Amino acid sequence: MSQISLIVNGSQQTLDVDPDTPLLWVLRDQLGLTGTKYSCGLGQCGCCTVHIEGEAKRSCTIPVSSVVDKVIVTIEGLSPDGSHPLQQAWVSEQVAQCGYCQPGQIMTAAALLSRTPNPNDEQINQAMAGMLCRCGTYQRIKRAIRRVIAEGGL
Amino acid sequence: MEISRRDFLKVSFVAGSGLVIAVYLGGCKELPTQENTPTATALLKSTPIPTRTELPEGTPTPEPPTWFTPNVFVTIGSAGLITITAHRSEMGQGVRTALPMILADELGADWNSVRVEQALGDPAYGSQETGGSHSIQNFYSIMRSAGAVGRQVLISAAAQTWGVDTRDCFTEKSMVIHRPSGQKLPFSALITLASTLPVPASRVISLKDPADFRIIGTSLGRVDNPEIITGKAVYGMDVRLPGMLYSAVAHCPVIRGKVTSYDDSATRQVPGVREVVQIDNGIAVVAEHAYQALRGKALLQVSWDSGANTRLNSTELEQALLERAKIATPPADELVQYYTMPYFAHATMEPMNCTANVSSDGCEVWVPTQNPQVVRSNIKGLLRIGPDKIKVYVPLIGGGFGRRLESGPAGLSPTVDYVSEAVQISQAIGAPVHLIWTRQDDFEHDMYQPLSVTRVRARLDDISTLSAQRFDVSSSIPVGYWRSVTNPPEAFARESFMDEYAVMTKADPVVLRHNYLNGRARDVVDMAADMASWGSPTPTGVGRGIAYHATWGATHVAQVAEVMVNETEIRVLHVFCAVDCGLVINPDMVIAQMESGIVFGLTAALKEHIHIESGIVTPYSFAGYPLLRFDEMPQVEVQIVKSTERPTGVGEMGNPPIAPAVANAVFAITGQRLRRLPLRLT
Repeated sequence: MSQISLIVNGSQQTLDVDPDTPLLWVLRDQLGLTGTKYSCGLGQCGCCTVHIEGEAKRSCTIPVSSVVDKVIVTIEGLSPDGSHPLQQAWVSEQVAQCGYCQPGQIMTAAALLSRTPNPNDEQINQAMAGMLCRCGTYQRIKRAIRRVIAEGGL
Repeated sequence: MEISRRDFLKVSFVAGSGLVIAVYLGGCKELPTQENTPTATALLKSTPIPTRTELPEGTPTPEPPTWFTPNVFVTIGSAGLITITAHRSEMGQGVRTALPMILADELGADWNSVRVEQALGDPAYGSQETGGSHSIQNFYSIMRSAGAVGRQVLISAAAQTWGVDTRDCFTEKSMVIHRPSGQKLPFSALITLASTLPVPASRVISLKDPADFRIIGTSLGRVDNPEIITGKAVYGMDVRLPGMLYSAVAHCPVIRGKVTSYDDSATRQVPGVREVVQIDNGIAVVAEHAYQALRGKALLQVSWDSGANTRLNSTELEQALLERAKIATPPADELVQYYTMPYFAHATMEPMNCTANVSSDGCEVWVPTQNPQVVRSNIKGLLRIGPDKIKVYVPLIGGGFGRRLESGPAGLSPTVDYVSEAVQISQAIGAPVHLIWTRQDDFEHDMYQPLSVTRVRARLDDISTLSAQRFDVSSSIPVGYWRSVTNPPEAFARESFMDEYAVMTKADPVVLRHNYLNGRARDVVDMAADMASWGSPTPTGVGRGIAYHATWGATHVAQVAEVMVNETEIRVLHVFCAVDCGLVINPDMVIAQMESGIVFGLTAALKEHIHIESGIVTPYSFAGYPLLRFDEMPQVEVQIVKSTERPTGVGEMGNPPIAPAVANAVFAITGQRLRRLPLRLT
């Protein structure tokens, strides 16, 4: 165990944690940020996606020691009240079914649009292809992303 | 008036007349104002949800009452908030929105003042077994009656207040309105009087004219969406209790193997690991945090008694099954064909989990389950305690597809594997435990869609002689319900066969179905064909296939798939789907379920299968068990038949037709008839 300092959703946290612990479990169990989901633990599904320095990353395979003092944003920190354009578009298009993968989908789409404000279909496919959804909401995810772009982006 | 919780609602089946509801007026009780009550999901994070039906005996009933609770499904507060109880499990199908919509419409509620609360597992609600796409079909009338009872009592209260005839009053937007004078009273102003009035008997409840529906038939958004998109929604995995420990269980990799011995010395070196305990299904590691439990589990040295199941091999089982189904010399005037579906996994995005707290007071569990009453029976059998000492809370479910409906082998007392494990661990250590299955546990210890071969035959001169017989295997491989259950093999076999028959008899597949089917079935076939411009030219390398199926004979669905083949790669470009589910509660949710069923069925048609060798399930991650991906998603268009027939379900119905529609399209392009899923071109 060691003292590790993290910047999560704008606040500095110091935790006593095994440095090998994946960031996912630190967020969920020690910081109470359960919006970031565990599903595969192998970086294969994307449910655990968060932003690290603005990039979409899979928190289940990132040791917490590697993100010390980096800017981490989770779904809870994307907006204070669900007002991020993608969150709003997710409601407008009624994307979610079971909803378990959706925080990761939203975080991935948010990273895409902040880097590439007007992506073409190929760029959207590339960014989202590794994000699994067993309920099959892909068509609506694409529509929600397209809606944000059409309404002026982030 | 003291009424037990069972008396709030009595549902009885009366031969010939369907479901009859008898609803009793509950005494109103002083409770915190609803607006100050934390939301159910907030409470799930810390303490059990108190429900109005669980007040201790003898709780005084002060005047004036602040709640009016006509039945277990609805409570109207003095501040105007209407709490509707969802008693079926939400796993993405939208039931927590759709059932309350029905009740709210009959009541005349303002949807904006409706809050949905999740019920505990309790027979007082009738069946809570959320499967078979039955929720709307079985509870449409009950939800309407439950709302209508509330409406009639509120109207009586208003009519009495004004000294007018009840027949001149109606409800709208949470108000009773006197039609002749236009005067209005909000529900909230009527609860004191309403709670003293008699409740009308079920047979005299008048239901709304469907022409007056205001909520039913509209595409209202799902009630859980605001919490889902902000990460605040509470799934089983997110349940947190004071003093809770985390646990992971090492299971035998061979199906139903048992522990012989184990060495936990390395596990116990992991900081945070508190306990290692043996339970029926394996070795449980208990720790302060989840990752410590997972690490501790990985470091366990366990010797297993794999038993006789090391002989299990799914390829051999499939070959033997095909042999069994084969007719050695089929009659010359018949077409006979065989269609194979392998084992499939559920692969819910949220792995199995359960949070249990066993104490001297009894047992509480928080579990994403499709069947909370079976969970109760499971715990009752396990701990031998009375049902009054068991509480089952149902958080949101991160995908069910039937896996969370499972209750162990038929004929035995129900056992829900992950629930039994969590309860045993909590009992052993005397603390609340949050059990997490890993993705590998989830794949290796699923209850799979069974392997099946379906034989279909028909005389070549008469399609109406078509008959199908499904063969499956009796083995130790655990099988269970998988979205649409027996409908996918049935549809894949019959609808592929229809296509083969059309080819052999030089008939158009749509025309053949049009002539073979009638009524609503024929109408959806025609609708899907129209949507797809069936018969119009397609680009080179692109073909169309059609299939029709009525899952459980309830909801009619026809789909046309437009498919492109590039060498051996099958790519589905477009799916046109026509659906007739009777009266529609929420059109957008019907569309969403069609999209969902299509994607689920496409994964089975093109990607997934479970392979078992030496009793071990080989794909144990998404790398070996691929799901349809974002970039493989076809464009899906859905049209709903306008209907006033009784409403039927949609959760499973989009799935069965898609695999045969795709297989038939593949044949149209390549001339290759693929009779096994997943479809593989050579």
